Amino acid sequence: MTPRRARCLRRAVRAEWTKLRTVPSLPWLLAAAVGLTVAGSAGALASVDTSQCPSPSECFEDTTKLSLTGIRLGQAAVVVFGVLAMSSEYGTGTIGPTLAATPSRRLVLTAKAAAVTTAAVVAGAIGVLGSLAAGRAILPGNGFTSANGYEPLSLADGSTLRAAAGTALYLGLVALLSLGVATAVRDTVGAITGVLALLYAVPIVAQIVSDPRWQRRLARYGPTEAGLSVQNTMRLDDLPISPWPGLGVLAAYAGLALLSGLLLFQFRDA
Amino acid sequence: MGGHAPFGRLVLAEWTKLRSVPRWLMALAAVVGLTLLVAVFDKASDSSSDAEEGEPLEEPDFSDEFHFVHQPLTGDGSIVAHVVSQEDSHEWAKAGLIMKERLEVGAPYAAVLVTPDHGVRMQWDFDHDVAGSDDGAAPRWLRLTRSGDTVTGYESADATNWQRVGEVDLDNLPSTVEVGLFVASPDAVVIKRQYGSNSVNETPTRGEAVFDRVSVEAAGGSPSPRDGEWSDYDSADEPEFGGSSTESGGVFTVMGSGDIAEVRRPFGDDLVELSLSGAAVGMLAAAALGALFMTAEFKRGMIRTTFAASPGRGRVLAAKAIVLGGATFAAGLVASVIAFLVSQASLRNTSRTPGLPELSLANLTVLRAVVGTAVLIALVAVLSLAVATIVRHTALAIPLVVLPLLVPSIVEGGLPLSVENWLTRLTPAAGFAVQQTITRYDTAIAPLVGLGVLAVYVAVALGVATLLLRRRDA
Repeated sequence: MTPRRARCLRRAVRAEWTKLRTVPSLPWLLAAAVGLTVAGSAGALASVDTSQCPSPSECFEDTTKLSLTGIRLGQAAVVVFGVLAMSSEYGTGTIGPTLAATPSRRLVLTAKAAAVTTAAVVAGAIGVLGSLAAGRAILPGNGFTSANGYEPLSLADGSTLRAAAGTALYLGLVALLSLGVATAVRDTVGAITGVLALLYAVPIVAQIVSDPRWQRRLARYGPTEAGLSVQNTMRLDDLPISPWPGLGVLAAYAGLALLSGLLLFQFRDA
Repeated sequence: MGGHAPFGRLVLAEWTKLRSVPRWLMALAAVVGLTLLVAVFDKASDSSSDAEEGEPLEEPDFSDEFHFVHQPLTGDGSIVAHVVSQEDSHEWAKAGLIMKERLEVGAPYAAVLVTPDHGVRMQWDFDHDVAGSDDGAAPRWLRLTRSGDTVTGYESADATNWQRVGEVDLDNLPSTVEVGLFVASPDAVVIKRQYGSNSVNETPTRGEAVFDRVSVEAAGGSPSPRDGEWSDYDSADEPEFGGSSTESGGVFTVMGSGDIAEVRRPFGDDLVELSLSGAAVGMLAAAALGALFMTAEFKRGMIRTTFAASPGRGRVLAAKAIVLGGATFAAGLVASVIAFLVSQASLRNTSRTPGLPELSLANLTVLRAVVGTAVLIALVAVLSLAVATIVRHTALAIPLVVLPLLVPSIVEGGLPLSVENWLTRLTPAAGFAVQQTITRYDTAIAPLVGLGVLAVYVAVALGVATLLLRRRDA
């Protein structure tokens, strides 16, 4: 990248960052993502104890994964965030001035993608840290104590760190996916409904279909189930898809959405 | 009505709006398409072709397992006993008196009994159940009287004031039947949690009850010729849970296992519910349409024209709700009828539960599920309309409506069953209960009650929306 192009990109990213900060609903959506994630995780943590296990040490509960349950709620706010980051430009007509200021559409989309993903990953990281803190506070009271073989959650533990970092990245990829779909369809409602259906309906369909081969395929290649495979810290050999390749599946969805968004963006009138 | 347009014209105006926006018609089509998705998917992936279809596994649709302390009774007569105590081995454990045509699995019978949690009951021939007094747990006096083919069950707290529980005509009852004391205790569902998910098992239970003051009388009040000569009969399936009885000084202690009732399949597949489950996806399109139907007016400022034409804002919302509800109900009904018809055969082929009956739309329970699914989709659309009126922002309204409907299925299997059931009962997702046609171990709420929960959410949201619509500037 030439210094000149790097400067252009830096400026474009700063412009997009300013939009994200100042469009009133967007910061609130990120706050909602953090809140929903932590609240969802705390709720899940509070509802699970060792009483239904054969014995407390035989629960084999993946306490890290349990503590990060709330991301399944928080991602909804990030979907709206990612979609609005693009579709609000069409809704309010600011796409005209944006393209007048930065005529390269690839640059606009790259800058938006960088700003949106960074914001979502930061929100994800805050949500994850809050969730793990909730886990440390709630788990021992529900029987998941060191005495029963459950060490307190700690980022010093390699697999917990991977689960935590992966979950924050997951949220970034969800934002990227939403941005790509919104760029492709240019319609707020269509994009939000479509991405929500992809993230929430595919796991439901996977539970419902009667054919076990399809159940496995959907668990391996559905965006939510594959992507959240990164949260597992136990029995990794039994997973339908291993943690990082799972996140890679979601990245492929996001990349595909962004690429089709970019192609349509470049060859279409604004 | 003063300057108000007639309500009918208002509804017509909203209908014209709905059908003249191509995108909205596409959303209606998406409701149908997405709801059908799962059913068609199942149909397409059904690999068990007709070739390997063997004899369908037939299982009796009743269970006839219990411990019976009996003696023959010839002609009319009655048996009376005092149930002193009953162990709480299962909410539906049974202890009481029974009159059975012969000692054979499946033979006709009539019984009056106490249960730990469901009071006194009179039951006969496996599929009939009449409730006596709710609080009638042991200790309780019970009496069973035969007169011709008619058997009548009574209960009493003190052996003086008898209350009739029920009466049944058992056709062609032979002159000699077996009467006596019986105890049964059905299998219990045990839920264990390991590796972050719930494993569910059924284990037999054994019940115990103590009876005294047992007497069998032939017609006319004379003691039965065989009174005092009791035999044991046990039909429990699990040998290690077989029953037994002991008697000393007229006090009988009877232990028994199993159930004498219609067969319960707590793990059986609900094929109707499965075939309609695509509604969980189809309702996303209904929610989108519902939100758009209102926010499009705000966005384009059309709402001012709408309110200028008909100043009664509550009436405008009502007209919108009726048109939207009607259109989504129709779309939902088309989808659910087709989904049911398309997938029943293939679901029956792949089901793990043998001996499931073939079901048709003429079955009232099936009809409730199929029509209920259409109502469910219409309610989701109207809920979305109301929420969109309140928040005036489509992008917020859709997740606000959709997320609570999805939460129970999002966490399914990850949280303890009792928590998941409470999530279902308390959220609008309770509405999906209307698709149930059997009671399973994980059933959270009765079908129509669940739909009622969703309807309450809709009513509250519509109320708040009307209030805000009147107060706020358009």
